Amino acid sequence: MTTTVERAALPVSAPAPAPTARRRRSDASVVILVVIVSIVLLLIVGYPLITLLGTAGSTEGLAVLGQVFTKPANLRIVGNTVLLGLCVGTIGTLVGFVFAYAQVRLRFRGKRLLNLLAMIPIVAPPFAVATAVITLFGRNGAITTGIFGWQADIYGLPGLVIVLTLSFYPVAYMNIKGMLESLDPSLDEAAAGLGAGKLRVFFTVTLPMLIPGLAGSFLLLFVEGIADLANPLVIGGDYTVLSSRAYLAVTGEYNTAAGAAYSFVILLPAVLVFLVQRYWVSRKSVVTVTGKPTGSSELITAPSIRIPILTLVGIVSALVVVVYATVLIGGFVKVPGVNNAFTLDHFRFVLAGLGSKAMVDTTTLALIAAPIAGILGMVIAWLVVRKLKRTAGLMDFVGMLGLAVPGTVLGIGYALAYMTPTTLFGIPLLPPLAGGAAAFAGSIAIVLVYIARSLPSGQRAGVSALQQIHPAIEEASTSLGANGATTFGKVTLPLIQAALVTGVTFAFARSMTTLSPIIFLTTPGTKIMTSQILAEVDSGRFGNAFAYCTVLIAIVLVVILLINILIRKVVFRGRTHQR
Amino acid sequence: MAALTSAEHTGAIGLNDLEEFRTDEPTGRITLAGLTKRYGGHAGDAAAVDHVDLEIRAGEFVTLLGPSGCGKTSTLRMIAGFEEPTEGVVQLDGAVMNTVPPNKRPMSMVFQSYALFPHLSVRDNVAYGLRLKRIPQARLAEEVDTILAIMNLAPYADRAPHQLSGGQQQRVALARALVMRPKVLLFDEPLSNLDAKLRVQMRNEIRRLQRRLGITSIFVTHDQDEAMTLSDRVVVMSRGRIEQIASPEEVYRRPESVFVADFIGRANFLDASALAAPVDGAISVHALGQRRTVPCHPDVTADSDVLLMIRPESVRLEKVDHAAAESGAADVRDDLGRVLSVMFHGDTVEYDVETDAGTIVASVSDPTAAEIFEPMDVVRVIVPDDRGWVLPHAARED
Repeated sequence: MTTTVERAALPVSAPAPAPTARRRRSDASVVILVVIVSIVLLLIVGYPLITLLGTAGSTEGLAVLGQVFTKPANLRIVGNTVLLGLCVGTIGTLVGFVFAYAQVRLRFRGKRLLNLLAMIPIVAPPFAVATAVITLFGRNGAITTGIFGWQADIYGLPGLVIVLTLSFYPVAYMNIKGMLESLDPSLDEAAAGLGAGKLRVFFTVTLPMLIPGLAGSFLLLFVEGIADLANPLVIGGDYTVLSSRAYLAVTGEYNTAAGAAYSFVILLPAVLVFLVQRYWVSRKSVVTVTGKPTGSSELITAPSIRIPILTLVGIVSALVVVVYATVLIGGFVKVPGVNNAFTLDHFRFVLAGLGSKAMVDTTTLALIAAPIAGILGMVIAWLVVRKLKRTAGLMDFVGMLGLAVPGTVLGIGYALAYMTPTTLFGIPLLPPLAGGAAAFAGSIAIVLVYIARSLPSGQRAGVSALQQIHPAIEEASTSLGANGATTFGKVTLPLIQAALVTGVTFAFARSMTTLSPIIFLTTPGTKIMTSQILAEVDSGRFGNAFAYCTVLIAIVLVVILLINILIRKVVFRGRTHQR
Repeated sequence: MAALTSAEHTGAIGLNDLEEFRTDEPTGRITLAGLTKRYGGHAGDAAAVDHVDLEIRAGEFVTLLGPSGCGKTSTLRMIAGFEEPTEGVVQLDGAVMNTVPPNKRPMSMVFQSYALFPHLSVRDNVAYGLRLKRIPQARLAEEVDTILAIMNLAPYADRAPHQLSGGQQQRVALARALVMRPKVLLFDEPLSNLDAKLRVQMRNEIRRLQRRLGITSIFVTHDQDEAMTLSDRVVVMSRGRIEQIASPEEVYRRPESVFVADFIGRANFLDASALAAPVDGAISVHALGQRRTVPCHPDVTADSDVLLMIRPESVRLEKVDHAAAESGAADVRDDLGRVLSVMFHGDTVEYDVETDAGTIVASVSDPTAAEIFEPMDVVRVIVPDDRGWVLPHAARED
């Protein structure tokens, strides 16, 4: 290094440090942000997962882990779980594909309705579907028994597959729809121009290009299938899966080590699938996103394609409509499916009676968590895309863990980690956040878990929004004298406001509807709607459960609307930009 | 008002109000010493910028010119502070800048993509940097209005950037940089997104503005026209190293290397043999059948292989009688050639001429129809000795 350069006498406004100081100081504001984000990530996912892994790796945990793959009863549970995952993955992807194909390639009326149907599960609590399916098709089902007089048994694998497919097909639908839309129709035209018929084009051009999307959807649904807790509890019957086994171990047998061990068995494939989906499927993707709108291809009108596809779409859509209609109507009748006399008792209970505390608590905590998760998602996205180099991948990964790690696993991790005061080298840092002695009746842990679960969607939206903004815009801000944090606040955040709105919106919806991690964290002092719904279903009060579901959906929709207006009109004062 | 309207019409920058922005003290001297950048951070990695030494005087306009990947942008970004040098020092007026973050350096950058803030109006874009300085509201408004008037942007102050034309956006970017009264202006290929005519116009405006303001300016470009017309001095770079630092004329007429000769303009290189040691910067060589005394590079010696460089526009062609050429065996003249191809460019006609010394490109300006040769014509190739330049053969790199 050249250190012999003379230091001239001309004074300059900026201090001239010794020439031997090789490394430039990083922007202090960025360093502070990195430290804050790291601490938050450690609190919301790092520490609970480490504790969980530690417990699973303890002597008792390892003993249970060993038994998971040796005891026949446990092997059956593992087999059940995998079978459920495969069924949900296959059927859900198929339904999602058919819906997406109809939406993008077919000519028919009601496309917006179809899109809307796919959005409902995002705002609905997970077991609205399960409860409605029981009401309609269960042992005393309004349809099976009421209309056909059958004594159907919906509990177990068939019910689970139906319910999980109806709940999660939208994930596949959105995924595949996005891919289909970005396929350049000129490729199809090129194939047709070379003499290929429509069917041949589909099998030799369209389908191969969709394989990464289909594989990705299958994997996502597989994980949703093996990790779900709410539905196996409600409609699983004797069909035990790992998540319900872990739940039983923690809440019924008070055997946290066993709970951790079962969780670990779910965690492993879930994280593996996440990694494959993220780093392999996305790289294999041949769909090119150029950012310029591709011309829309001719919509298909041929009856040989339309009729079978639209029939399938119609059946599934009808099922979805009936299910959610049941949720809505079920709240207004005495005993849904059995005594269908009109009543407002259930809503009175939820809105004004004993049940109203859950409504207030849940909404309050979700309202606290959503903006934090949204902003945190944007900050992480910014650090990952712009500021960090070697550690970017790690921070991105840890931020996404809240999505990759199944809720059940995360909940058990929280219960294990925060049951006791958190200490560092013997210095107490935090009071217990979970369990009977939890500070603020466990609400801190619930907010943290809400943030962990809902952070990834905002983070992902932020990353893709930032990748479309030329770095020179931020450098221009720096060149004009702004430090990192100022640049982020004054330039970056306004430019990615759409991603922020998405992040906050999803965060709120996800927080309101999440159940699996919450079950392990609620205390008598803090009531959460989703776990109240579960309790009502457990004790057979379906009417109350449906009323809760309807109220929850209504709150989510209203708040989403308000968040959109608030962020766009107040925070950014209507400043938008066009590209 | 009338003057403003007319200036507005032509889109030119009004220079009358400029005095206010003039920097009086001669500050803004940039020194680069051993500046090196290796991406990847390992000693073995190829250097994007390799031990660059450069002294830029206060108020000077210097262009960094080179093909893509030559390290010119990396050098500029190290001066700005966006990249950290692997080795070496950036100094401003003698003070080492390496540890000063980019937002604390008294320099403003104009970006290739303009990098205007799309969510802010023209006025807010220009005011952005001053607001960060917490300048009193009244003075801020005054400064912004002045620069907007100078740059002829006042009528567009409340528009969003996307509502402006490319040239107007470019002027906003320039106004936003100038309003900060930087000691150094950095330009990162700012004209490459404009169409050809606008590019020439903006180029002239930038040059006039810079002359009047006296702000040290460093301009990165791969366009030799831009470099030649804008700069006091051109820095030609290749593979991370400086090939030559000189005035535009010197770079063109007296290139330091074959690379420079080839990159700036076009050049014919003829193999030649030195006949004697150079005297007073000129050497006697044998080329194209003649003994000539041609200006030469200082590294040329009597016993080195040399190349004679000649620009296409310096080559003259003369018609030779066919019969004379066929029977000219008695008078062996190696300066005869055969026209291989003729390309009509409008202002010039360009020929590829095959000679014993290889194919020579000749560019003849503004010929009449009768003067234009046909392919297969035999011509005499005339190279004025004083327009040539002799380079050491070793300087040719491939």
